Amino acid sequence: METSDPAAIRRFFQRAEVTDIDVCRVLNSILRVKSQQRQEARASCCSIIKAKKMAEERREITLRRFDLSDLDDYMVWASDDRVTAFCRWDSYTDKEDLRRYMRETVLPHPWFRAVCLGGRPIGAVSVELGAGCDRCKGELGYALAAAHWGRGHATAAVKMAVRSVFREVEGLERVEALVDVDNKASQRVLEKAGFAREGVLRKSTVLKGRTRDLVMFSLISTDALVD
Amino acid sequence: MGVGAKEEDREEKRTVPEITLRPFTISDVDDFMTWATDDRVMRFSRRPTCTTKDECLTHMKDHIMPHPWCRAICIDDDGRPVGLVSVMPAPGADVHRASIGFDVAYDYWGRGVATAAVKKAASAVFEEWPLLERLDAVAEVNNTASRRVLEKAGFRREAVLKSYLVLRGESKDMIMYSLLSANSVVR
Repeated sequence: METSDPAAIRRFFQRAEVTDIDVCRVLNSILRVKSQQRQEARASCCSIIKAKKMAEERREITLRRFDLSDLDDYMVWASDDRVTAFCRWDSYTDKEDLRRYMRETVLPHPWFRAVCLGGRPIGAVSVELGAGCDRCKGELGYALAAAHWGRGHATAAVKMAVRSVFREVEGLERVEALVDVDNKASQRVLEKAGFAREGVLRKSTVLKGRTRDLVMFSLISTDALVD
Repeated sequence: MGVGAKEEDREEKRTVPEITLRPFTISDVDDFMTWATDDRVMRFSRRPTCTTKDECLTHMKDHIMPHPWCRAICIDDDGRPVGLVSVMPAPGADVHRASIGFDVAYDYWGRGVATAAVKKAASAVFEEWPLLERLDAVAEVNNTASRRVLEKAGFRREAVLKSYLVLRGESKDMIMYSLLSANSVVR
């Protein structure tokens, strides 16, 4: 990042998940410029990093990319039948299988984020992006550890994810989510996040060996997010 | 289609076409060109309208011949294709689901050809693929001709999906229709 403009630096930090590597990189580019601007830039950085740290201490939800070191935290919800009841995948029983999934799918994924509470992962949110005729849409998926259900964390994570993905992905106009007709909790998450219920797609998926009806929800980039 | 709904129903009662479905051969290219190069037929399609015979041959070789289930719609005894109906299984392991699409040459519109072809294709795939439970199709909100075909063939409208597909350079609202094996008419 080649800039000393405090406003640009502020935007950079607000957009990106702040890590120590980001801080070093930005401060290195700041050092190339005049000392007065450097001071302003550094002050901007510090205030934003402080705000993020305070959010973590207040135990607010943040999103960041996964790392293999998150394996144990990931295993907590990925091995829980309550969490995977409405997932097309089965609960993990072997940590090595999950490690392989993280390495092969999660880490290189175009849009996959850890849902963190106080900086530690308690769930995951992802958007499968389309190509060709499907390039205007992405499919949302999310999972949250059962111990943290019922506190609005999934709704917060979904709102943040949708805001980010619309900003980051060129040409994305629609984020959709397909939810089992019996998964009332997940339907409420999407309604609270401002998604519109479009209809029921009959027998459109197979879940644990049975064909199921799914409710289609969508959020269009021009719709206002419920805040 | 250029025909109003009532007129179409009257015509159908007079002349319900006897159609047959058969696989394409590369020698069908000239008949295929009749509708594949016609903007009136192709304007709602995901594929661009072909302009040359070479493009049509390429499309037939690359997409039609290797397609899992693609049939020429033939009427009259000379067996020449007047359209196409295809059923594409869902991606991945979802063998219970497939999507249907169709094109009919403009001169044959208004006679129930597409409706008859869709009904026949649906029966055929439900029988050939015993694990198939859902056949679906999306049509643009403005594509009233295709929407009527699906409705007359017994498909149920499930939802309006906003900004669902990019067609002709813009995202379009599409209507999702489906036919379940449990509800389909077995011939």
